[in-house]
Amino acid sequence: MSNSGEGDGRTGGVTDFHPIAKVSVGQILGLVEAIDEVGGVADVATISQEVDMDLDRLGPVLGAAEFLGLMTVEEGDVRITDLSRKLLHANVRERKAIVRDIIDDVPVFRLITDMARKAGRPLSRQEIIEALSARVGSHQAEDLFKALVYWGRYVELVRYDSQSEQLTLRTPSK
Amino acid sequence: MHALLEVKDVTKSYFENGKEFKVLDLVRFDLAERDFVCVVGPSGCGKSTLLRIIVGLDKPTSGAVLFEGEPIRADNPQVAMVFQSFALFPWLTVQQNVEIGLEAKGTPPEERHRIARKFIDAVGLTGFEDAFPRELSGGMKQRVGIARALAIEPLLLCMDEPFSSLDPLTAQNLRDEILQLWANPDLPPKAVLMVTHAIEEAVYLADRVIVLSSRPGRMIAELQIDLPRPRNRKEPEFYGWVDEIYSLIV
Repeated sequence: MSNSGEGDGRTGGVTDFHPIAKVSVGQILGLVEAIDEVGGVADVATISQEVDMDLDRLGPVLGAAEFLGLMTVEEGDVRITDLSRKLLHANVRERKAIVRDIIDDVPVFRLITDMARKAGRPLSRQEIIEALSARVGSHQAEDLFKALVYWGRYVELVRYDSQSEQLTLRTPSK
Repeated sequence: MHALLEVKDVTKSYFENGKEFKVLDLVRFDLAERDFVCVVGPSGCGKSTLLRIIVGLDKPTSGAVLFEGEPIRADNPQVAMVFQSFALFPWLTVQQNVEIGLEAKGTPPEERHRIARKFIDAVGLTGFEDAFPRELSGGMKQRVGIARALAIEPLLLCMDEPFSSLDPLTAQNLRDEILQLWANPDLPPKAVLMVTHAIEEAVYLADRVIVLSSRPGRMIAELQIDLPRPRNRKEPEFYGWVDEIYSLIV
C-alpha cells in the first residue's frame, strides 16, 4: 500500500528523519485530533491557543505531522489531509499500519532495515551509529538512532535490545 | 443486588497536635456496571485521598466503602489503579511491568505472558515489549500503566489524574484511546472511576461527574453528562456542562 496518492499532504520525496526525531506519535495524533475538532483547518496561532502549547513546543509537532503527510501548512493555515482523516477513524492497530507505510518509505529508515536484511544477523548499535554518522554527521547520529528505534518499534518493524545493544528486524503482528 | 461500588458517607480527618483537619466530609455515591464516573474538585479537596480510600489503600475516619457488597480490601484483584506518576519499575521491561500484577495473582508464567501481550497490544505498545521505561515517551509510559491495570482484568479501574503529567497533545490522544478501549465490551473493566482537576476532561470522558467542594471535600453535585459520543469540546452543549461545573466550584 502506498500513501502517496491524492489527498496526501506529502509533496516530494521524504529525505530524512529529522522532523520526527524528537516528537512522539501520541503528540502527532493529539494534534490531528485537535485540528479536526476545530473543523480540520486553523491558523497556527489558533491551534497554539487551542492545545495550550507555545509555538516553540508546537512547531516540531507541526513539522513532524507535515513530514508524515498528515497536514499541510499554507499561508499560516494548517489543514489536515485525507490521510489524517483515515487515521482519525482507525483503531490503534490500523493506525500503526498507516504510519508503518509512511515510515517504511523514509530513506534513512530503509538504510538501516536494508543493512540488517543484507547482514542476515543482528546489527550492533555501534555499526548503525557509524552508518548514520556517514550520512548526517556524528553529532546528529545518536538522536537519529534513538528516533529510528522509537519509530521502528512503534511500527513493529524493528526489535532493539538496549542491554545487548542489538537491533533486529521483526514482522508486524496481524 | 448490590451496586459494584458503594461509597457510604466517607469522612476522613487527620489529627495533628490534637487538632482535627478534615479532608473529606460525608461523601456518598454508587457505581454500577458500565459507569464511567469522574470526580472533580479544586486542588486539595481530598479527591486523591478519596480514591486511596476507595481502593483500600487508606481507611476512612468514618463511613465505609463496599465492593460488591463487601468492605473493600487493598489486595482486591477486581480493582486496579492507574497513577499520575505512572509508577513503573524502571529495571523491568514493558512486558515485565505489565506482568507484575498477574505474578502477584499467581498466574502461571505462560498465561502471564499471553495475557500481558494481549493488553500491550490493546494499548498500542506492541513493538515496545522489550523496552525499558527510560526508552519510552510519557504517553507510552502511561500506556504501560494502563495495560498493567487492565491485565489483571479488573471489574473496576480507578485512575488518579492519569493525564496530568503529559503534555496537552499526548493527553488528548490518550483520552481518545481510553474511550476506544472503553467502547470495546470484550475488554475490562466494567466500570471506571477517575479523579481529575480538569473539568473539561471530566465532561469529555464521563457519563457522570461528581463535584467536590474545596477542603473538606463535600459532594456538591452529581451530574449525568448525557452528551452523545464522540464529544466535541467546541459544541455549545459541551461548554454548557463545563460552565455549570465551574460555577459550582468557584
